[in-house]
Amino acid sequence: MSNINDFKSLELTVGDVFSKNARIKARNVNVFYGNNKAIDNVTIDIGSKEVISFIGPSGCGKSTFLRCFNRMNDTIDSCVVQGEISIDDENIYDKKIDVVPLRARIGMVFQKPNPFPKSIYDNVAYGPRIHGLSENKEHLDVIVEESLKRAGLWQEVSDRLQSPGTGLSGGQQQRLCIARAIAVSPEVILMDEPCSALDPIATARIEDLIHELGNDYSIVIVTHSMQQAARVSKRTAYFHLGKLIEVGKTKEIFTRPQHHQTEAYISGKIG
Amino acid sequence: MENKHIHSSFDNDLNKLNNNLLKLGNTAHEQFDNCINNFGTRNLEEIEKVVGGDTILDDLDDKVQKLGFEIIALRAPQAADLRRIIVALKIATIFERIGDYSRNISNRTKLLIELNYSDLPGVYIGKMGQKTLTMMEDVIESYVNEDDKLAVKVRNSDVKIDKMHTEYYLEIISHMQRKKNFAPTGAHLLFIAKNIERVADYVTDIAEQVYFLVNGNVLSDHRPKADETSLKIPE
Repeated sequence: MSNINDFKSLELTVGDVFSKNARIKARNVNVFYGNNKAIDNVTIDIGSKEVISFIGPSGCGKSTFLRCFNRMNDTIDSCVVQGEISIDDENIYDKKIDVVPLRARIGMVFQKPNPFPKSIYDNVAYGPRIHGLSENKEHLDVIVEESLKRAGLWQEVSDRLQSPGTGLSGGQQQRLCIARAIAVSPEVILMDEPCSALDPIATARIEDLIHELGNDYSIVIVTHSMQQAARVSKRTAYFHLGKLIEVGKTKEIFTRPQHHQTEAYISGKIG
Repeated sequence: MENKHIHSSFDNDLNKLNNNLLKLGNTAHEQFDNCINNFGTRNLEEIEKVVGGDTILDDLDDKVQKLGFEIIALRAPQAADLRRIIVALKIATIFERIGDYSRNISNRTKLLIELNYSDLPGVYIGKMGQKTLTMMEDVIESYVNEDDKLAVKVRNSDVKIDKMHTEYYLEIISHMQRKKNFAPTGAHLLFIAKNIERVADYVTDIAEQVYFLVNGNVLSDHRPKADETSLKIPE
């Protein structure tokens, strides 16, 4: 484990930001949109096969920070990321890093389901095809089936794989997007409010799926719903005004938070 | 708990809570069973086991309280789930208290052995204990099967224990009045009889919780009571 005294940001953060089996390490990360500092000196580990939630009021920087992990912020011209973020000790902001394979290793599921305007099969097969992950058609069929099964969608779509993905319900589309992310064998899955466009039943299905997938992948989920964070994650990080205020076991955060701002937020007194 | 939640992990949490609660209930039953049995056999080694075993109940109660607290905080349970957790927390505390009474009876049994106690005619501690044990078995069964009819039956049978307690109380006091050196023994016997009567009251409380668990409302009529020890002056 890293020396806790090495990081200035820890003066601000309550709880253990480090993880014994860290997959992603973020150190003293600052993010600017022009002159506006959206993330202020954040240090945290994302452990192997852990589900961690980022919570906090709107504008606290949780989505911005999430998007640093697979360099989605590169697509915003005014955005500058400082500090260091590594996956398996490889700096993802190194000039040699190609973001296309990086985004296969660190997949992402967005707030609004965004299936490609293609068939269900092709939505899932797209990633393995462009990354050359399938040996032949039969192998691709296996990847598609396995991914849809893991996303809990196979039973509902196995007889209509050639139907358009956009014809599915919102919840099914989101599970299709999860299947698409899984199909390229990622190490980490980032989820940015993956259920905010879904009804409670579809939400519950996705949450149950997240719980299952947490056995094999590191999952970082940004959510506005504190109850969702409580239900799905083993670890929770609370952000406020760009700062990481507190991080700890979800059980601890929701039963005896250490920082008064965390207490106020989860009790519905700020936000 | 037959209908499964979409969140399978929620079911896992509830099962864990339920399993620990049943373990606590069965251990409380076993402790009480042993303490009543030991009253008759006067086996000091077995009595010490009951006294020492009380910490198991304390630990299980702590576990149930912690699990219930976490489920409320993390799952925001509703309707029957909410009732289940609130009831589990209450019942766990009651089982733990029954354990305290078993320990207390055991400690007093040790003293009675030292006082060379021989059975008092008309006072049947074993019989009173056995009837309470049956109530306890039934109430655990009513919880497991969510059987509110059996729970009501258990609740209404408490009156028999109350009557026995009043009867034994009067008998013990009477004997104490007649035989002055019987006072120390009589005092311990009074406490033991009272402890068993309290255990039966606790079992009744559990029965009422089972009724609430199943129906979502409390039993409206007043529970029948027949313990008159606080109302009668022995002749």
